[in-house]
This record gives sequence, C-alpha cells and structure tokens, in this order.
Amino acid sequence: MIRHFFINMFRNIRHNKVFTLINLGNLVVGFAVFILFSVLVDYELSYDKFNTNYEQIYRVQTRQEDSYPINYCTYSPPAYRYHLLSDLPEVEKVLLMREVSGGAHGSGQFFTLPDGSQLNEQDGYWSENTIFDIFTVPLIEGSKQNALTEPNTIALSETLAKKLFPTGSATGKLVTIGKHYPLTVSAVYADFPLNSSLRPTYMVSMPTYDILGDGPQYRDNWRQIQFDNFILLKKGADPEQVNAKIRDAFKNIKDYEKSFPYLHPLSKHHISPNSQGDMLIGLAILSLAAVLVLILACVNYVNLSLANSTQRSKEIGIKKVIGSSQRFLAYQFLAETVLHTLFATLVALFVAQAALPLLNRIMEKNFDLSIWSNGTMLGLILLVSLLVGVLSGLYPALVISAYNPVKVLKGKLFSNGGTSFSVKKVLVVAQFSISLFMLLVSFILYGHVNFILNKDLGFASKNILYTEINVHDTTDFETIKNRMLQHSEISDVAFSSTIPFIGNIGGYISWEDGAPDDRVMVSRNYVNYDFIPTYNLKMVYGRNFSREYPADNQACIINETALKVFGWKDPVGKRITLYGRAYPVIGVVKDFHPYSVHNLIPTYVMFLNSNVISGSSLISVRYTSGSEANAKTIVTRELEDILPNDPFEFKDFGVAFYLDYAIGFWQTMKRMFIFFAVVTLFISTIGLFGLILFTVRRRTKEIGVRKVLGSSIITVYWQLSSEVIYMLGFAVILGCPAAMVIYKAMPGAYKEPLSALVFVAGILLIAVIAQLTISYHVLKVAVSNPVEALRYE
Amino acid sequence: MINLTGIDKYYDSKFQRSFVLKGINLHVKEGEFLSIMGPSGSGKSTLLNIIGLLDKPSEGQYTLFDKSVLDLKEKEMVDYHRHFMGFIFQAYHLIEDMTVVENIETPLIYKGVKSRDRKAMVADLLDRFSMVAKKDLFPQQLSGGQQQLVGIARAIVGKPKLLLADEPTGNLHSSQGEMIMGVLDELNKEGMTIIQVTHNERFAEFGKRIIRLEDGYLSKL
Repeated sequence: MIRHFFINMFRNIRHNKVFTLINLGNLVVGFAVFILFSVLVDYELSYDKFNTNYEQIYRVQTRQEDSYPINYCTYSPPAYRYHLLSDLPEVEKVLLMREVSGGAHGSGQFFTLPDGSQLNEQDGYWSENTIFDIFTVPLIEGSKQNALTEPNTIALSETLAKKLFPTGSATGKLVTIGKHYPLTVSAVYADFPLNSSLRPTYMVSMPTYDILGDGPQYRDNWRQIQFDNFILLKKGADPEQVNAKIRDAFKNIKDYEKSFPYLHPLSKHHISPNSQGDMLIGLAILSLAAVLVLILACVNYVNLSLANSTQRSKEIGIKKVIGSSQRFLAYQFLAETVLHTLFATLVALFVAQAALPLLNRIMEKNFDLSIWSNGTMLGLILLVSLLVGVLSGLYPALVISAYNPVKVLKGKLFSNGGTSFSVKKVLVVAQFSISLFMLLVSFILYGHVNFILNKDLGFASKNILYTEINVHDTTDFETIKNRMLQHSEISDVAFSSTIPFIGNIGGYISWEDGAPDDRVMVSRNYVNYDFIPTYNLKMVYGRNFSREYPADNQACIINETALKVFGWKDPVGKRITLYGRAYPVIGVVKDFHPYSVHNLIPTYVMFLNSNVISGSSLISVRYTSGSEANAKTIVTRELEDILPNDPFEFKDFGVAFYLDYAIGFWQTMKRMFIFFAVVTLFISTIGLFGLILFTVRRRTKEIGVRKVLGSSIITVYWQLSSEVIYMLGFAVILGCPAAMVIYKAMPGAYKEPLSALVFVAGILLIAVIAQLTISYHVLKVAVSNPVEALRYE
Repeated sequence: MINLTGIDKYYDSKFQRSFVLKGINLHVKEGEFLSIMGPSGSGKSTLLNIIGLLDKPSEGQYTLFDKSVLDLKEKEMVDYHRHFMGFIFQAYHLIEDMTVVENIETPLIYKGVKSRDRKAMVADLLDRFSMVAKKDLFPQQLSGGQQQLVGIARAIVGKPKLLLADEPTGNLHSSQGEMIMGVLDELNKEGMTIIQVTHNERFAEFGKRIIRLEDGYLSKL
C-alpha cells in the first residue's frame, strides 16, 4: 500500500512536470525566506545569552522625564556605584565602566604598534574588575582576581593583543596609549562574541581613572551622566523592588530632580537599548513580511493543487468507483502535500544556507551562522513545515476527494461553478493583496530612506573632514587655523566640543520670562568663532560670535527650537541660566539636525570657547570641492607638525553620517523589504502563471467555440483576463490600507508625507506584471486555430 | 436480486421539471445478462448509475437482495463497490499513471487483500486474458480492445456478483467488440450477473433479456 502511494506520487510528478516544478519551487522559495529570516531573528534574540548570569544582569540607566520626548539615557553618573547601588541587599556585584573615548561614536584611542605607527582602536572602556564576575569573559592570560585591580594596568582583547604583541605573551609588557600613557598589560581575554552588546576591545583598570581621569572626587558626581553602571542581582531578587528603592536618588540633586535611575535588563540591551521600541517595530514588520511570504507560498500551493487536481479528477473518479473511500483519498492527498512541504523544506534549508552571504550583504552584518548547528531552530522549522503541509493540504484534499465520480468521469467538473472555484478566487485576491502590500511597503521604505538620507540637514555636510584629538600642550587655535588656511584647498577650520552626529553634552537651563521652576534639557556645544561659518549655519536673528565683542565669551547662540520653547518674540539680549550663571543670547541659528533625522531636533545652545585648544576637542575642516584627494594629506601633515605628541585621524564627515544608528537601521529595513518584495512578486508571478495555465486549459474548448462563432482575438483576450483585473481591484482595496497602517507604525520623528504616486506606481506595476504573466498563455490560445482546440475531445 | 420500483430521476429548472427517468420498474434475477438499449439521452446511463449506486433516484424504491440501498452511509456504499459490484466504461477509464498490473490490483488493495493473494489473483486474470506479456505496460501503450480487457479484469478481480458495463464496446471496432462481448458472455455463464448499456443491436443480443428506454420510459419489457 505504501509502495503504491509512493509509486503513484512519483508517476504523478513525472506526469505534471511543469506544475510540480512550479509548485515545489514556490514552496522552496517561501521556506528559504522564512528560514533565513528565522535565523536572523534567532540571532538578534541570542544577543548576550552567552553570559551565564544573563538573567541577573542589569544596567542601571537614567530616565530624564524633563526632556521631550522623555529621554531614556543608557548612561548614568558614577555616584550610582558608590552612593546608590553598593549597599542594596538585592545587589550581589556592582560594576562601573566608562567608554575611554568619552562617548563620541566612531572615535577611539591610539595605540603605538611595534613598528611605531599609531593604531586607532575603538570601543575601549575604563572598567572595574567585577566585569569578570558579572559577565562571562574567559581569560587567556592573567587572573580574574587582579586583572583590573591595580592602577596603570590594562586588559587586552585577544585580537588587540595579537596586533600589539605579534609574538609571545602580552602580560607584563608595556603599551602606550595616546603617545603619552604607558600601561602594563595585566591580562588578555578572549574577544567578546559578535552577539554581545558590550564588546570592549580593551579595558583600563578603574584605579587608573583616578590618575588619568578627573581625580578621585568623581565618585561623588551625580551630574556626569557618562558612565555605565552594571549590577548583578542576587538570584531570586525582584528588580521591581530595587527600582522602587532607587527611584528617588536624584531628589536632592539640584536641576536633576526629574531624573530617575531604573534597571534595564541585559535581555533588552540589544533590541531596545534606550527603552525605545524602534528596533522591535522593525523586527516585527520584517517578521510580518517573512510570515506573509510563507503564507503566500501556501496560498499558491493550494491554488495550484486545486488547479492540478482537475488533471487528476478522472483518477479520483475511477478510484471511488472501484472502491476507494473518500477518507482514504483525502488522506492520500494530505500525505502527498505533507511530503511535498517536507521535501521543499529540506531543499530550502540548503538554499538558505547557500543564501546566507546574501543575507550578510543585505544586513551589512557578518553572521558566521550555520543553519545545521541550531537544533531547536531546525526542530521548529520542521514543525512549521508540518503545520504548513497540513494546512495547505487540508482544503485541496477535502475538495478533491469529494468529487462526484459520475460528473468527473463525464468531464463535467466545471460545468456548474461550485464552491471550490470561489475559494480559489478568494485565494488569488489574497495573493494579489499580499504582493501589492509588500510592494507598497517597499516603495514607502525606499522613499523614507531617500528622505532621511537627502533631507536638508540645515548645514553643509559635504567637503568636511573632522578629527577628535586630545591636546596635551595648550595651543592657540589661531596657529592651527592659519597654518591650514595657507593652503588654497582649505577654506574653513573650526573647533568645538561636539559636531553634528558626533558627541552630545546635555545640561539643564532655565530662561528669562519662564516660570521659576521651568527647566529644559538642552544639547550644549562649545564652539569657536569659526564653527558657524564652517558648517554654513544660517543666522535667523542676531549675529555669530565675534572677536570684536569681548563679552561674547559670556554669551550664547540658541536654535529656533529653543526659541519656540522659550516663547520669546525678540530673542536678542534675553538671558538663559545654566548652573547658576546667566548668558545673554546674541543670535538664533536656523534649525539644523545635530543628530540623525530619525529624531526630533533638540533644544540646542552654543557657547563660545576660549579659542585655545586643550584637552579633548573636535577639529573640523572644510575643503574646496575638487580637492578631496589632497585635503586629508595637507591637514594631517600640518596638524602632526604642530602637535606631534597627540595622535589623531582625520575622517570624512560622510562616514560619521553613515555611522548613525538610525540611518543604518533604515538602510537595512529598506534592503530587507526590497528583497522580500522581489521574492513575493516572484512567488505570486509563478502562482499566477500556473493558475492561468489551468484556466486556459479548462477553457480551450470554449475559446474554440467562441472563435468559430466569430469572436475576435481581442474579445477572447479580454474574456480571459478580465477576471484577473477584477480580482486585482479587490487587492487594491485590501493592500493599500494595510500599507498605510505600516507607514503610520514606522518609527521616526520626520516622515515624508505619503504620496499618492506610491500607490499608483505599486498598483500599475502589479497590474503590468499580472497582465504580462497571463498574456503568454492567453495569447497563445487566443490566436490559435479553433479547429485544434475543438479537436481536443 | 435487484428490484427497482417507481424510479424517477428529474432535474428542476426554473419553470419546469425535466425527467430523465420516469416510473421505471425493473427486476433483475441473479445470473441474468440484461442489455439496456435506447437512443442517446434516453436515460440508459443514468439508470445504470443508479443501479451502481453512483447516482440517486429522485423518487422510488431500490432494493438489493431485499435490502433498501437508497439511504446508505458513505461507508456502506463503499463496501458495496468493494465487494459486490464491478464497473466497465466506454472510455475504459484506466488510471494512466499505473501499469496494467497495478490497475488490476488497485481494487484488491482497497478491499484489503494481502499482497501475496493479490499477486496470485492478478496473475490468474492476466493468464486468462492472455495479457501476461503486457502486464508492465501503461494503458496508452495498449490497443482499445486490450485496454477494455484490462478494464474488465479490474472490474472482476474482486469477484463481484454484479458487473455493470456502460457501452463497453462503444469505442472499439467490431472485431474487438466481438471479443469483449465473448468475454462477458463467458463470465455470465460462470454465474455473474451482468447489466450492460449499449447502442448496438447485435451486441445487445448477447443479453438474455433486452429492455428499451425511450425518453425515460421503459418501452418494452
């Protein structure tokens, strides 16, 4: 019996090669996409799970309720560590860390390589030794007891250690940071895995911070929200209880009364570091797309199975007459479908594994994943495959096995419409709707990415080089500026504490005419005279800082958003107060985007720095267009000449722009969706192709009769394709609103208004593809000789 | 064995009821060879389908071995098809994806006969119809007469009491038709009840009794 089942199935496949190929191909593509996506989601959700204490690790973050929108800051002040967390009974270990580069994304520290050159290494941290107790960090050299306990010691990641000390062990040797600071290597640890949200390339012991940083008094600082506080909760301790205990920590800190510490579990660090759902929404939208692709493949399968079943209806009729029960036939079809899906899944697994490099390119990631190594996921995929097989086999099995043998054997199956036909229509409408939806969302995302990439940032972002530098010997900035401006390629030079997209200094200010306890969180920037012209910021009121007004070093310039918040009519001369000191406003700049256009423009205030460069600063250079090639060499040579002992590296501003998290996020979303849309269109097209093939076969005789009676080719064509256009109409009604919902759900402060053009283009594209697909078959029949068709008896 | 009383079969359309069969009374004894004749559209095939439990009459009584068979459950109906009746069709209706052997074997599979017994029964029939050399061919590789032989073999392999033949010679030329009728005659002599529908006067004569249908009425008993 089982042998017969298989023989029957294989002969059927051989008999219907085109159908089988279309149908299995469609399932393979659907499953491959689903599998790839499961791999991706699984990877995103696997972040940080390698830590044995995963469940008990929390970062204590800072919620600032007085900024708009509420700011969930991942950073926190060092006072948490010494005055808030260490005495709590629920807390087993505390860990204070700080990024060595000071928080400017994309900058880093310089190490002297064996050959004397400088290596810019990012993601370094000051850290306490408890990192080895809280996180799972295997040591290659050294001991977890004292790796980061002594001053002037550093622990290196394996990769960095190999670079600095290509041969032999690193422990006990000296490394030099920023050309100035010799540190002794105390340990070498295995690189943090790629799916770790915290990935220090090196860690300098916290006792060193007392010497090289701001001195031991930092321990009492509540305002320096630039540190990372991690805790390891005792097993079974309730984080909510801890939250309640630490909630009012800022009660007596002036200007920070509206800030609140809160525990952020390690499980959310990757998906939602700042307690925002952006990435979750993104993943949810992508999950939806992946599931839709799978559903589409199933719908296709059902449609094609039903279509193909007419080929097999005679077989079913005969089998019933010679004594097969309906139930048995239904089981036979169901089993066949399940086998098809299982087979397709197996092929899809190989396809997905082969397509992983493609996923890496789309995601701009470097997954080193093997589908075969993840047992639970394989099991899950198998389960989904079974489910899909049963679901998409059930309906055809029931319909097909219920064929009336007398009618089937007379070839009368379609003479009276019947329910199977309208269900098929519903399925085709579903298919069109999903395709249209995916296409529209791709268009919307494409438009959105273009929008945020090309949105006027409010400043000139082209032709700018920047570098972060830590200046040891106080230097007059005019010297640097004049040296660089000697070259005709260089048009402007400025220095500041932050530049757009890099660095952020917060602070609370109050303002003239405001209520006594009105306070707002602003972004501060300390700039020199040349900052505004270098970035080409436009003044709306007043003027730029000027050397002609010595009092300007006590003045400030605000942006339009700040003006709106303060509610001033005539801003020039009004005062703002920062930490007890009043600053008159001398000008207002037109709003520009200091951070990615994903976020709202913040309230922004610029103060004049002393034009003497010392400590950590950012130098920006504008070059004339056409001198891209030389500019970097020129400024690097000049700055090296003036500051030979302070390492730096000039970078293109464009790099900083693309480093932005939101830009990367949307780029990925766009590419993923275009990928999904292409797959969806592909699946729907082959589905439609098969379906029309079936319709045409079914109506060959009818068309022959019509032509004999004098119908024109165009009439016949219309007769056959009007049905498809009709169903497309329904798809428009369903697909367009669904795409609009996605547009509404998309995170981001600025969105391009939804254009009708998107919908027109999407609908047209679908219509054209559908028409082209059906045209092949329909035209073939429409122009054929009717005698051929009628001979078909 | 078969008792039909007052069988009507009609279709209701908007304004009128159109009858396919009207007031059919028919009694068939075990071992009979009955030929049903009549022009196209006279309801012959419908009558045969009703007898074969493939179709239901609109009115009337039908008993098989004194048991009413009009309100059978699907399972009981399947049992009748498995154990009691065999069908032969004008267009042979062999399963194209199966070889000769497999076609003949299939009803036995549904009947639940063991593999070894199946082999023996099929081999027996192949022998009887001299088809041993053709046993692994597919239907489209056979001539019409050979296909109909396979059709008969498939119909009788389960040793049914009743063989229903719907124009068994309709697609064959006369010499092949003659041969098929010879086989049916032989089967009847071995005791099988046969009801055939046919157009052909000469082949109808193989029947022990001939009835004629005209526009749904039995015209001569």
